Amino acid sequence: MVDTTLVNRADDGAEGGGMTPLTTAVTVPAAPRESVGTRRDYHALNAMLNMYDCDGRIQFGKDREAVRQYFLQHVNPNTVEFGSLREKIDHLIGNDYYEEAPIRRYDWEFLEGLYARAYAHRHRFRTFLGAFKYYTSYTLKTFDGSRYLERYEDRVVATALFLGAGDERLATRLVDEMMTGRFQPATPTFLNAGKAQRGELVSCFLLRVEDNLESIGRGVNSALQLSKRGGGVALLLTNLREQGAPIKRIENQSSGVVPVMKLLEDSFSYANQLGARQGAGAVYLHAHHPDIMRFLDTKRENADEKIRIKTLSLGVVVPDITFELAKRNEDMHLFSPYDVERVHGRPLADLSVSEHYDEMVADPRIRTTTLPAREFFKTIAELQFESGYPYLLFEDTVNRANPIPGRINMSNLCSEILQVNTPSTYDSSLGYETVGRDVSCNLGSLNIAAAMASPDLGATVETAVRGLTSVSDQSHIDAVPSVAHGNDLSHAIGLGQMNLHGYLASQRVHYGSEEGVDFTDMYFYAVAFHALRASNRIAIERGTAFDGFAESAYADGSYFDKYTERTWEPATERVRELFTRAGIALPTRADWRALKESVRVHGIYNQYLQAVPPTGSISYINDSTASIHPIAAKVEIRKEGKLGRVYYPAPHMDDDNLEYFQDAYEIGYEKILDTYAAATQHVDQGLSCTLFFRDTATTRDLNKAQIHAWRKGIKTLYYIRLRQEALEGTEIENCLSCAL
Amino acid sequence: MTTTPAPLTDLSVTPPSYRHDPAARLRPVNWNRVTDEKDLEVWNRLTANFWLPEKVPLSNDVNAWRQRLTAEERTLTMRVFTGLTMLDTVQATVGEIVQIQDARTEHEEAVYTNIAFMQAVHARSYSCVFSTLAATPEIDDAYRWAVGNDVLQQRCKTVLAQYYGDHPLKRKVASTLLSSLLLYAGFYLPLHFSTHALLTNTADMIRLILRDKAVHGYYSGYKYQRGLERLGAAERAEMRTFTHDLLDELYRLELRYSGELYEPLGLMDDVAVFVRYNADKALMNLGYPARFSAAETEVNPEILAALSPGADENHDFFSGSGSSYVMGKAEDTADDDWDF
Repeated sequence: MVDTTLVNRADDGAEGGGMTPLTTAVTVPAAPRESVGTRRDYHALNAMLNMYDCDGRIQFGKDREAVRQYFLQHVNPNTVEFGSLREKIDHLIGNDYYEEAPIRRYDWEFLEGLYARAYAHRHRFRTFLGAFKYYTSYTLKTFDGSRYLERYEDRVVATALFLGAGDERLATRLVDEMMTGRFQPATPTFLNAGKAQRGELVSCFLLRVEDNLESIGRGVNSALQLSKRGGGVALLLTNLREQGAPIKRIENQSSGVVPVMKLLEDSFSYANQLGARQGAGAVYLHAHHPDIMRFLDTKRENADEKIRIKTLSLGVVVPDITFELAKRNEDMHLFSPYDVERVHGRPLADLSVSEHYDEMVADPRIRTTTLPAREFFKTIAELQFESGYPYLLFEDTVNRANPIPGRINMSNLCSEILQVNTPSTYDSSLGYETVGRDVSCNLGSLNIAAAMASPDLGATVETAVRGLTSVSDQSHIDAVPSVAHGNDLSHAIGLGQMNLHGYLASQRVHYGSEEGVDFTDMYFYAVAFHALRASNRIAIERGTAFDGFAESAYADGSYFDKYTERTWEPATERVRELFTRAGIALPTRADWRALKESVRVHGIYNQYLQAVPPTGSISYINDSTASIHPIAAKVEIRKEGKLGRVYYPAPHMDDDNLEYFQDAYEIGYEKILDTYAAATQHVDQGLSCTLFFRDTATTRDLNKAQIHAWRKGIKTLYYIRLRQEALEGTEIENCLSCAL
Repeated sequence: MTTTPAPLTDLSVTPPSYRHDPAARLRPVNWNRVTDEKDLEVWNRLTANFWLPEKVPLSNDVNAWRQRLTAEERTLTMRVFTGLTMLDTVQATVGEIVQIQDARTEHEEAVYTNIAFMQAVHARSYSCVFSTLAATPEIDDAYRWAVGNDVLQQRCKTVLAQYYGDHPLKRKVASTLLSSLLLYAGFYLPLHFSTHALLTNTADMIRLILRDKAVHGYYSGYKYQRGLERLGAAERAEMRTFTHDLLDELYRLELRYSGELYEPLGLMDDVAVFVRYNADKALMNLGYPARFSAAETEVNPEILAALSPGADENHDFFSGSGSSYVMGKAEDTADDDWDF
């Protein structure tokens, strides 16, 4: 085996940060563009992961060799070296690469020490994809894009300095948490923090759209503005009047939600062409909106070009009543949002359809159409086969679990953000009459394996919460005042988790087994406590809580009932042992009672604390399995616009523990949902939950999984992913992905 | 007294037989009596894999096309794709259709109509790439090039001669070689691009095509082997010789054709290995041992690893629609499923 640790790095002696001046800044002309014929050995080596060796084993060594070659052939020759740290910092600030103010808030001695501290961790990329992703997408490059100006440590320190906002202790703790991989800020934060030419630190937004042209126009404008800044935007279409609804009381005038979707799709791709990262958008519609079938049909394989939606993501908001109606095999009534708003004085999205269902069916002032409820579910499953969409949001589950006053009626592009919102109103020149509250998501994730190895799990969570709070404090999305307003009042954050499968497998626990679920339950239980306590401490320090705290379930204490009325402890010996051996004391009922009291008195600073995102990119650079779902494959074939086709071996996997790395298709949806259900009860927002099926499944299997998920208290379902095995006789020999 | 009636298949023929025997009784295709399970299996796979190029957001490749490819590379791409369009046109309009008359089961006839249609979809999908990425003069140039290129013409005509010949099994050999050998040299370029993060949405589309082609080549080969089983030793030997001769001829043509295209960009060494690999793959589909040694067919791992026809890419939804989705099997839920 090749020791990659020696070469996976330019210059073990120079340590980039300038402790040992070796070379002066070299000016090398921009590398000529490589032609398509240029051979790059590291890609070939990485691809060998997808092929067995002669003995039928996965070629892990080839990927390590790919990392080594990537550094030798590409990274090292293309990295700008500096003679000293001071030279580097001066150069980066002087040439407008780094923002000056966040750095100048610290003493020079402190900065030197912090860089030394980061470099002392001797970070090494464990996989080719991790290194490739980092250098392709995150690290600071010269303006012509040809040379690298940062190593991994530099990015970590720049992020820590920025989030520390002058607080040396916090910056130091963030460096430790990030260098050990315990805490990883989400892509927009890790990518942008500290850079002078940067996008926003948050990149995911949720916007309401109301039933008037001003609001639709604002929605399109916001989609453009936020896409330009590299954001992903979800919009709520539930309140828009349906096709054929009256305009100015003249019947059959409105063309419904589909043309608005088209406008949005085109807006996203237009802003995308301005060169920022891929513009992306999602739209959510309530299941009982009359346009629901037209909404879904936009993803049909044979949809007409005028109504086909290619790149917009779709989400459907499903209340309990729809399940009840399907159970009774009845028709479901779809309600005209135009009439509902006139009759109830509130838009459809702000009403509980389950609660008002019978009343609205009986009300002659509200036009309804019907659709067999089971047919609705079947159509959803058909579309999921063809496109992976729509996402589902279980409206009543979400609102029952929501500790904050108000209503949750939509989610975001990754279906993990669940926050209350309020409408804005506009004058005829598109100015705001009242600025409502819209949502931005501000995320970062803990690597569960690393966090379990933390000397102090509570401190790790607290540092993460403080880091994320700093992102909220430093974000002001002026282009969309309702988002800025929402963030100012809520300071909402979303602490996520990743590497659950990797951690379990490394401990020889099967994903979704009794012990696997037990661990998930206890881990999230502990995180919920520490996150709340951290937010409570911030509230104490600043003497302020989030807006609306007084009406929340935190203030009246009801949120805490489930933790103070019973004892939570591991159900299995194995899990008890995992926590004991890690030296982690689980919170007791007394701890919760004390926290409840402190929260009652001082409040908490963040309106929302947790949300578990799908963690695509950051789990690769962090050497984690994605989020808390099982691996998609032992060797994942990752295809992305910026990377091409790359192969990623499951973290922690070796020849001896392969049996613990069953993939998501083998594990099946029940165990995935059991695991998610255990986590969900401790998470105030949502968790991106992808379900995986073989192509032998039918729409009925998908429906059964959705029913199961809803019954288990899952809040949202994200993509459906499908895997089709090669037809017997058409496989490629020795190819790992054919020998499943 | 009742007698068992003679099986319907003895009393009647399928429509293509009309031209041999206008007096015979005609029989509609009956999918409730499937004699070769492979027909149903392949039919199901093909229909589940139905797709149209319009679903792929090809316009996301516009930037890469304009900014990251050189003029030379763009020309190469246009030509490679026009060459693929030519082959798919041959298959859609002749290659699959002529095999209908030779079908051994009525279901096989139906499968060829499906394959022919999908080949027409493939031919059209390259046009979608062109119209999204290129301008009309460039497109016209590429077509003019295809019509004027002697090797390309000869490649197609060599196969067409067999299609319009008089031997059913020779048609199968020709069709299998076209699907498994000739087409793949064209796929090399988009596979290579996608590994290097160029034109990745086009590559998604190519993966959808590959997913189909793997089945098409396999099916012709499978039916060839079934036909071969009915022949005597002498005829079998003759077919073997014929296959190897045709393979050699097409192999030589392919090297010339691909050489002209890929040589200027320094990719030909790799492509030649890939052509040999696919020649062996074609022979395998026809039930023959490999013609080239393992060393001669050691394909660049990035390309080989990308060849798998399974839908196993874990794509990023925000940059493409992926190549793993299929038409689902609709099945009603039962009351039990809603037992809560």
